[in-house]
Amino acid sequence: MGQDMHSIDWQAAQWIDRMSRPVLDSETAAAFDRWILTDPRHVDSYARLSAIWQSKGLEAALAEPAHLSNANNDDDAAPSPGWWRLARGGAVASLLALACVGGAQLLVSDASYATARGGTRVVALADGSTVRMNGDTRITVRIAPWSRHVTLERGEAFFDVAHERLRGFSVDAGGASVSVLGTAFDIDRIDRDTRIIQVYRGLVSVDAGTGRQWQLPAGSGLELSGEHVRSLKGVAGAHPGWTDGWLEANDMPMLQLVERLNRTAAHPVRLADPALGDLLVTGRFQTNDPKNMLEAITAIHDLRWHDVGDHYVVER
Amino acid sequence: MLSSIKAPSPEDAANGYSWDTIQSALKRYLRGRGARPDVVDDVTQETLARLVELARTQQIGSIVSLAFRIADNLVIDMHRRESRLEPEIEDDIRSEEPSLNRVLDSRRAMDIFNRCLRKMPRLRREVLIRRRINQESCRAIGDDLAMSAKAVEKHITRGMIDLRRALEQAGIDLAGQD
Repeated sequence: MGQDMHSIDWQAAQWIDRMSRPVLDSETAAAFDRWILTDPRHVDSYARLSAIWQSKGLEAALAEPAHLSNANNDDDAAPSPGWWRLARGGAVASLLALACVGGAQLLVSDASYATARGGTRVVALADGSTVRMNGDTRITVRIAPWSRHVTLERGEAFFDVAHERLRGFSVDAGGASVSVLGTAFDIDRIDRDTRIIQVYRGLVSVDAGTGRQWQLPAGSGLELSGEHVRSLKGVAGAHPGWTDGWLEANDMPMLQLVERLNRTAAHPVRLADPALGDLLVTGRFQTNDPKNMLEAITAIHDLRWHDVGDHYVVER
Repeated sequence: MLSSIKAPSPEDAANGYSWDTIQSALKRYLRGRGARPDVVDDVTQETLARLVELARTQQIGSIVSLAFRIADNLVIDMHRRESRLEPEIEDDIRSEEPSLNRVLDSRRAMDIFNRCLRKMPRLRREVLIRRRINQESCRAIGDDLAMSAKAVEKHITRGMIDLRRALEQAGIDLAGQD
């Protein structure tokens, strides 16, 4: 009997969670009716557990700051500002309520940052994370007491995320969304379809929509290009080379290489013939020395380059 | 008086279940949620009337969960109305025989929940906070904490059972309401 009760409670608890989801498919709905009407004890257990689950007592207990500031002292969380520890505790419920009546603006900070071609920039976010932006890059940042969200609108950025237990950190790179707790990773929006994600520390989860999801541990990466996915290995070091002024190419199409070089170079490079963009290049180049890089690339593929005043031209 | 209500005829059954079946499940549910006997009868009657109306015009996914939801809202409305009309009398009645909801909303229940939450693994506590307070989906929680939605569901289920057990161990007898 005790065992029986236990398994009924177990099922009831599962149903409470399922039935509180916003969307319910007809199969699940029918299964619920079948389950609950099979045995009056199912109704009893469901009623009591939902009374607990929906009670104000539980809500108040869950919003207690003690649970969020790691009372058992076994967290590896990076220190977070004191006001936040308070905010995500007892105040969370009232913050959410406030948000509903329109006071959210006070708590949510929105900001945009951009770099021009040729310039990089390090942005320190309010939560202690840093974003190192490559040239020709634009991001918007929204930090709320319950979430941290960045949109990479253009370009490339390296994220060093401050670890927080409760607040996730997600980056939307248009067609690929990356979410983490505390880690360091680089996202490059190469063109309309292509995103490269490289992980330097921790673990990230990438969602490319339509059920396509990957977990990437440190040292790995992913290149998403429309429907094509290529996994990248050997992501080494603590941060991507470009943050030190290096550009690493590993069988990289020339067009990609040129676009990346142009992000950091004030004097851009143009390809005289678009077909040149498909040539593959491997090497490690210093971005502050484009002439040297052009020498190397043109030597590999037997091309020529010259300076036409405000940009360089590469041709056959 | 509910016993005097004639259940609709069998051909009126909703989603293959007779109104009788749904009615007795609903009454049991309301009792389980700690509603007073008069409230149970009134709310059951009103809920069934609305359900019959809805079932005539719409496709209903889960007839039982819809019944529970309508009933929950009616109970809340009723309490709101009562406490506005007769606050003093209501308080007297309540303090004599505290309803389950009142017990679960009390400072004492909160302390019990608190102790129970502190004893849980940190991960489970975090999952419960995200699900209950932030209303995040299992999948979103799983993505953030690098585990499957199934594993998240397990933590929630386990957490609810832990909470119920903690109440029982503290002498709050949930099963003894009827």
